[in-house]
Order: sequence, then C-alpha cells, then structure tokens
Amino acid sequence: MTSATEQTPLRDCELDGWVETVQELRGEGFDYFDWLTAVDETDREESPGFDVVLHLYDMTPGAVRGTLLRCRVPEGTPVPSLTSLWCGAAWHERETHEMFGIEFSGFDDGTGLGMRPLLLPDGFVGTPLRKSFVLAARASKPWPGAKDPGESGDTPRRAGRRKNLPPGVPDPSWGPR
Amino acid sequence: MTVDLPTPRVGPLQDAAPKPMRLVLNWGRRYSLWVFNFGLACCAIEFIAASMARHDFIRLGVIPFAPGPRQADLMVVSGTVTDKMAPAVRRLYDQMPEPKYVISFGACSNSGGPYWDSYAVTKGVDQLIPVDVYVPGCPPRPEALLHGILRLQDKIAAEQLSTRSYADRRRLAGAVTRPAVQEPGAGATRVPVAPVAPREARS
Repeated sequence: MTSATEQTPLRDCELDGWVETVQELRGEGFDYFDWLTAVDETDREESPGFDVVLHLYDMTPGAVRGTLLRCRVPEGTPVPSLTSLWCGAAWHERETHEMFGIEFSGFDDGTGLGMRPLLLPDGFVGTPLRKSFVLAARASKPWPGAKDPGESGDTPRRAGRRKNLPPGVPDPSWGPR
Repeated sequence: MTVDLPTPRVGPLQDAAPKPMRLVLNWGRRYSLWVFNFGLACCAIEFIAASMARHDFIRLGVIPFAPGPRQADLMVVSGTVTDKMAPAVRRLYDQMPEPKYVISFGACSNSGGPYWDSYAVTKGVDQLIPVDVYVPGCPPRPEALLHGILRLQDKIAAEQLSTRSYADRRRLAGAVTRPAVQEPGAGATRVPVAPVAPREARS
C-alpha cells in the first residue's frame, strides 16, 4: 500500500507564473486550500532559495484528489499572495512569513493590519525555521545535567567519543554549555 | 494590569504557636490539596490517569476538581511550557491563594526536556514560578506522580510558616523578558546569565 504522499502529484512552476498556475489548478477543480509552507533550500548548489509549497484538494465526492505545487523563490524575493483566491491562505502566509522571512506581496486578510507574526511570542527576533537560525538555548542557560555519557563526573573515565551537536546548535565559542 | 497586594501574614504569634497546633494545621493542609492541572502536553494524560480509578490520588487527599486557580492549593504543571504560554502560567500561579504548591511533572516542565534546543520552549517552569517537587520522566508514570505527591505531603508536614518566607518565593519571570542572545563577535555585548537560585528541594 502506498502512502498518500507518494500518490500526490507534484508540479513545479516559476515564480512569475505562481498565481496563474494556482488559478489554473483551481480551474481544474483543485479549489480546496489545504496548506502552504516553505522549505529552506538556500544551501543548494544551483538556484538557492526557498521552496514555497502549496497543497490543494479537489473535494469532489467519491473522487477526492490532491496536488502539490512547488516554486523555488530566491532569498529576499516577495511571493505574490494567494489571499485574493483563498482568504484562509492568510494564516499560512503569515506563518511562512514569520518562520522563513518570506515576504508576500499583495497580502490582505481583510483586517488591514498587513503582514504580521502569527504564532511566535511577542518580541521574538529571527526566523526560526531557516537553517541559518542559531538555536542559542545552550548559550543562554546551562543544561542542568550531562548531555553525553561521562560528562556528569560520576564516572572516573572520561568518555572519548565525539561530541555530536544537533543541527542549528552553536559551537562552544558562543559561551558556556 | 497587575495589582500588588501585600502578602498575607499570619502574624508574629504564629511562630510561637504550640507544636501540636502546627501539627494539626499542617496535617489538615497536606490532606486537602485541591489540585489544578496545568496540562500542556502528553504528560497531562498521565495526570488524568493518576486521577482515575486505578491510581486514584483522591485517596491521598488530592482533589482534582478545583473550579479554578483561585480555589486551588496545588498546581501540577504537566507538559511543555512554551515562551508564549509562560505569561499565562505565571498569571494563573499568581491567582492562586497562599499557601500554594507547585509540582513540575515531566521532563519538559522540569527543564525543557527533549525540546531544550527549541526556539519556543521555556527551559523549565522553575524559571517562572517556584517549584516544590520535580517529578522526572518522559512522561512519568502515574505512580511517579503519586510518589511526588507523597514527597510534597512530607514537605508540608515539616513546614513552619517561619521557616519559609513567602516573599522569597516570588521570582520574576526573567526568562520571558530576557533579551535575545547576541552572536559573539558581532559588536554585541554578551548578556550575562543570571545565577540560578538554589532549589529548595529537588525530589
């Protein structure tokens, strides 16, 4: 049995034809907006940027099908907003904006407040889902215990194994661990 | 708006209260813990399991039907405290009447747990409110909560109001209002980390 993800067809499009392709898909019956997010691909060799991914459904009874639309966006380039097509895209674009720092041009969710954070606490600085975002928790507060075997000092032998840092965790030059 | 009310005091005569009186007061207090479950994640399910028929912490005098924080004596923080939820945790703790106790249930509310490196998770609820008993585990079993309740009851039984200053228990939510850590070498000054106050009882 194959999963639903493997069955979902994926289409790529250029940034210039983003809204046109979405309208085209909507005309084909994919009129149910499921979600929109981004993938950080800024470390790619060719055309680095962010993959903005959109998932749509065709909710015809008995023949439900979904589709994915992907678009590579260079860093700093605004993406045309889809809020004129689906009002519900506003939350997804706000979340993508605060997590990845992607601008959405023509964003309008009916409140007139414009693009603003959705989920993060007030005063949060940074775009945490970017690969370049440093997870500085260990530098700001020491971990209350041992991270690796042999670090707590309860065993006489020092562990000689290599320290494995999780992705995004800064190196020791940031401060006490 | 925060109203700073004076901390209620029993008075100087309380210190001179005879020991049998303290014993009776503490005895009454320890077996009538109206608990208020701050369930934030999967640990709350274990809390609910501990309140159900098999483990049944009501037999220990822990009553899980407090209508709100104003009627509760004990707050059990079970689950992942995020920076966004932190002001609400602090606010509901402040709404509880003295004497009040806090059990931190599970790795996440003890220290952040597996989400230590996350950008959104508070590194332990003891950065916001004073914690009396820490229950380790991910999640802890209901028996662990029962043990933590017993340890808290032992603590209450040994309690004298003069041994603990309630004013000392008030701690600012420095972790929430703390500025972001600056990258070293970028012309920024390092934010000194405030020394962590010694914990009263780590169970």
